[in-house]
Amino acid sequence: MKTASRIVGTAFFMTGYEVQDAPRYGAERRGAPIFAYVRADKSPVNERGIIRQPDLVVVADDTLVGMPAAGVMQGIDEHTVLLINSHENADTWRQRLNTAATILILPAREDIKDRAELPYIGSRCAAACAVLTNVISRDVFTSALAEELEQLGEKIVKQNLDTALTSFELMSPYAGIVKQSGLPSAADYQQPGWINLPFDDAAISAPAIHASATSVKVRTGLWRTMRPVINYEKCSGCWWVCSTYCPDGAINVTEAGLPDIDYEHCKGCLVCVAQCPPQAIEAIPEHLAKEQEMSAADPSGIKPPGDSA
Amino acid sequence: MNRKLLTGNAAAAWGARLAQVDYVPAFPITPQTEIIENLSLWIDSGEMDARLVTLESEHSMITAAGSAATSGVRVFTSTSSQGLLYGMEMIYTVAGWRAPFVMVNVSRGLSSPITLEPDHNDIMAARDSGFLQIHCATCQEITDSVLMAYRLAEHKDIRVPAIVNQDGFYLSFTREPVSLPDADRAAAFVGEFDPENLQFKASAPLSQAMAVLGGGPYSYFRYETHLAVQRALSVYEEVADEFASAFGRRYDIIDNYRMDDAEYAFVMMGSFATKAHDAVDSLRNAGWKVGLARLRLFRPFPQEKIRQLLTARRAVAVIDQNISMGMGGVLHSEVAAALYGLKNAPAVLASYIGGLGGRDISQVEFFEMINELKHASDKSEPLPPRLLYTENELTEIRKLQAIAQVEHADIQQAGTGQAETDRK
Amino acid sequence: MLTFSRQEPGRRKQTGNEGIIMTSESIVHFHRMKDMPSSHLLGTGTPMCAGCGGLETLHNMYDILGEKTVFVNAAGCMTLLSVYPFTPFRGGWLYTAMASAPAGAQGVRDAMDILLQKKKLSTEDNMEVVVITGDGSAYGMGLSATSAAMDRNLNFIYLCYDNEGYGNTGQQYSAATPHAAITSTSKGSHGYPGFKKDLFSIWAAHRPAYVATIIGAEPLDLAKKIEKLQTMTGPRMLISLAPCPTGWDYDPKLSVEIGRLAVQTGIWPLKEYSDGKIKHTKIPKQRKPVEDYLKLQGRFKHLFEPQRDEAGIAEIQARIDAYWTRVMA
Repeated sequence: MKTASRIVGTAFFMTGYEVQDAPRYGAERRGAPIFAYVRADKSPVNERGIIRQPDLVVVADDTLVGMPAAGVMQGIDEHTVLLINSHENADTWRQRLNTAATILILPAREDIKDRAELPYIGSRCAAACAVLTNVISRDVFTSALAEELEQLGEKIVKQNLDTALTSFELMSPYAGIVKQSGLPSAADYQQPGWINLPFDDAAISAPAIHASATSVKVRTGLWRTMRPVINYEKCSGCWWVCSTYCPDGAINVTEAGLPDIDYEHCKGCLVCVAQCPPQAIEAIPEHLAKEQEMSAADPSGIKPPGDSA
Repeated sequence: MNRKLLTGNAAAAWGARLAQVDYVPAFPITPQTEIIENLSLWIDSGEMDARLVTLESEHSMITAAGSAATSGVRVFTSTSSQGLLYGMEMIYTVAGWRAPFVMVNVSRGLSSPITLEPDHNDIMAARDSGFLQIHCATCQEITDSVLMAYRLAEHKDIRVPAIVNQDGFYLSFTREPVSLPDADRAAAFVGEFDPENLQFKASAPLSQAMAVLGGGPYSYFRYETHLAVQRALSVYEEVADEFASAFGRRYDIIDNYRMDDAEYAFVMMGSFATKAHDAVDSLRNAGWKVGLARLRLFRPFPQEKIRQLLTARRAVAVIDQNISMGMGGVLHSEVAAALYGLKNAPAVLASYIGGLGGRDISQVEFFEMINELKHASDKSEPLPPRLLYTENELTEIRKLQAIAQVEHADIQQAGTGQAETDRK
Repeated sequence: MLTFSRQEPGRRKQTGNEGIIMTSESIVHFHRMKDMPSSHLLGTGTPMCAGCGGLETLHNMYDILGEKTVFVNAAGCMTLLSVYPFTPFRGGWLYTAMASAPAGAQGVRDAMDILLQKKKLSTEDNMEVVVITGDGSAYGMGLSATSAAMDRNLNFIYLCYDNEGYGNTGQQYSAATPHAAITSTSKGSHGYPGFKKDLFSIWAAHRPAYVATIIGAEPLDLAKKIEKLQTMTGPRMLISLAPCPTGWDYDPKLSVEIGRLAVQTGIWPLKEYSDGKIKHTKIPKQRKPVEDYLKLQGRFKHLFEPQRDEAGIAEIQARIDAYWTRVMA
């Protein structure tokens, strides 16, 4: 997403706009959800930091939309256009989100089987931004992408460009749907709701956690793009391999002695897939796994047999 | 009454001993070393039931002090100057941990050039850290302040570390009569340290001092520390009252001398204030209405008290034994900020920088400051900041520069011994 | 005898110094992989990268040490293990700074010992103190504090997760970076010109109670060493090579494979020091060529593409061979 924001930023800049673009790292770890933003204006951009009321929100990973912690929906109102890279359609998302924003779908590619191809998503999203704002020409976009990806070599630039330009066709019916809004007006504004911070004694206000393993409340399963799935017909029950090697300790062992992957927390590193002696763990794209999960009448392929929990 | 001659360092060590500290992480640095030597001796001889560990740096020393305090023991440590700065990362860090302990800083000028003589730039560098700061003017005050500092630092509403500051050489190596509080009464006054819920033990999970994500939580924790430090202003009054009734010595937040009807005032901190004390008497005898306000508590800064004390005075001289490069005296700035906008603020608030690197401030210099204040207030003109520095001192440095073969016309003359006469 | 249920790590016997009786037979509880704990103490949901080799070591170590541990953390990747209000720990954790985690451990250990002695802390409430630092701290900024903690014979465990660079800031080279590795501050055609510092020897020269190299990819070796050091007091020092998909540039699923190759090629010798003697705990019978290890990692790609750098690979191989010739002599 950082690269996507830089492509969009550079494209606006090449078009003659004043620009701000920046990434924001949460956990600052590879695989963790990340967002980036771009501001563009004909006049110098003075506002800084996170955009409070975005005109356009582009979501590359649709699993983040419904997660409050990811903050995707923050500041979204009726003037916002929300573009989601998804296998599902806009109606489904409208019902799910109950938002006044305009929802558009950038159809997710069906053919992604390997996470090595995921980087192209950034370029596709960037191209979609260019169309929806309707101020960046195809030529300028092409130059901006080439400039930002130059270090990766010609071959990768071309692959990205080819993928990205499909967005131009897909999004053309919505060209210009994104309207530039301004900052809040001093003539009519909502008060910020200041308070005087109350004094708390040290037993409360020291930066200390008095609980055990609260980290389990963090759903690092959100990071996953590929999901390891155990085929229990093949599983030989040697839990000590996968459960020990899983860096996150996210493979539990059932009373029956079978490994059980904790999908709330599995980050999808796939070490278990690589290490499983009988090769009983398969990696499948997360979105396909989700679809299967929803439609599966028989979830027994995912849960270990004999596990009542 | 157990009254004996003690150096400032011995007085500091006695403070720690009487507070019945459990743990002393240490590191030697002049002019502080005698403190840890005393404690080490008492621990070895069994007179003190404590553990002293010499770390390999002040950075580690302050880390260990903080981590021991957050593990539930009473900690004492001490440092000075370069050592305080070497540990500065941890000074800020342990205050954020809300680790209550007491550290005696023996003020000494900072490098460069390096010196062993005192001034307050070291302690000023810790100004914004979250440590409380008590500044002492006598050896008696050092022992007493260490005891009071534990009460403040460990108070459940405050729970931040505290620095008790004394001046190197002028106090640290200088013997004065000190009345040592009775050990049992001192122990009763300080009380037991109750770490409440901030202590490691297997039966209670505790993760301390972790990262936060975002400015909201960060602002909360930082501002709560600020509010806790400010609480020390009111808690101090209780502690001072109790101390006075237990030991008969009263220490106010600001130590005022002949301020009641004073038209002119000196405002300063540290041991040089006792010189100003004598100067005030001299000036009073000569007919001047002069007083002295010495700040004991510098953090939290007693803003309200400064306002009450200095309004309706004709003129005030703030004497800073420190210098903020490019700005001037730190105390002067803070006093000016406190007085801002008050209708009857003194017309003249003059800034004098004096005593850098242990440079003496003479009686006549105090007199002359008041003389300058009078002229400036008569004419309602502001006084430019002044470094206390004499022509004779300039001549002396010129001689040194001549030996150092600094190339300059005036300096070459100084080398030939004609400088004084020629320049007049 | 040390006995505890495999399935219930939370109820394991405390492993500190107080009241532990351990016979020599009870050492090497871990004979085979099946003996590894089947449930894990370290909370999931930490923000370490997917496939983090350091986390793999830590969670295996924690399972064996148990929850009566205070971790004292230096600045590094694992700073973010605890982010308010989330912690993966069930006992204690204290974040210090990059240079002074061993001093933080000193304060905690001393405080607990004082409280035990003054009967203000019950022996049940006693905890083992464990420093966690990255290589940036262990090999560099924190080396002085570490050395001094060993000088003072501090009773603590020290884990360095060594991902061979300043990983938390984007993998700039550190004193732990191996020869020829590309890092974000050694991007030239030959990579990092220096050689990895021999921290094991530097530590062993202090003659502490125990020094060992470990790796998450060899959990049995790791478990045996943790179990062994639990029978000791004094400084017990561990360096874990921590394969790092982000900093070393490889697919995270290869973390264990790469770790195992580090041992099999002999570039990461598994060994231990105690009582003045160094013992290799896993000697590869037939060392695989080091290029098997190098070629899986983007940071060594320049040794193979666009053309093979025979001299470069041979130099790395020669150093490994010389090491093993020397230690096996």
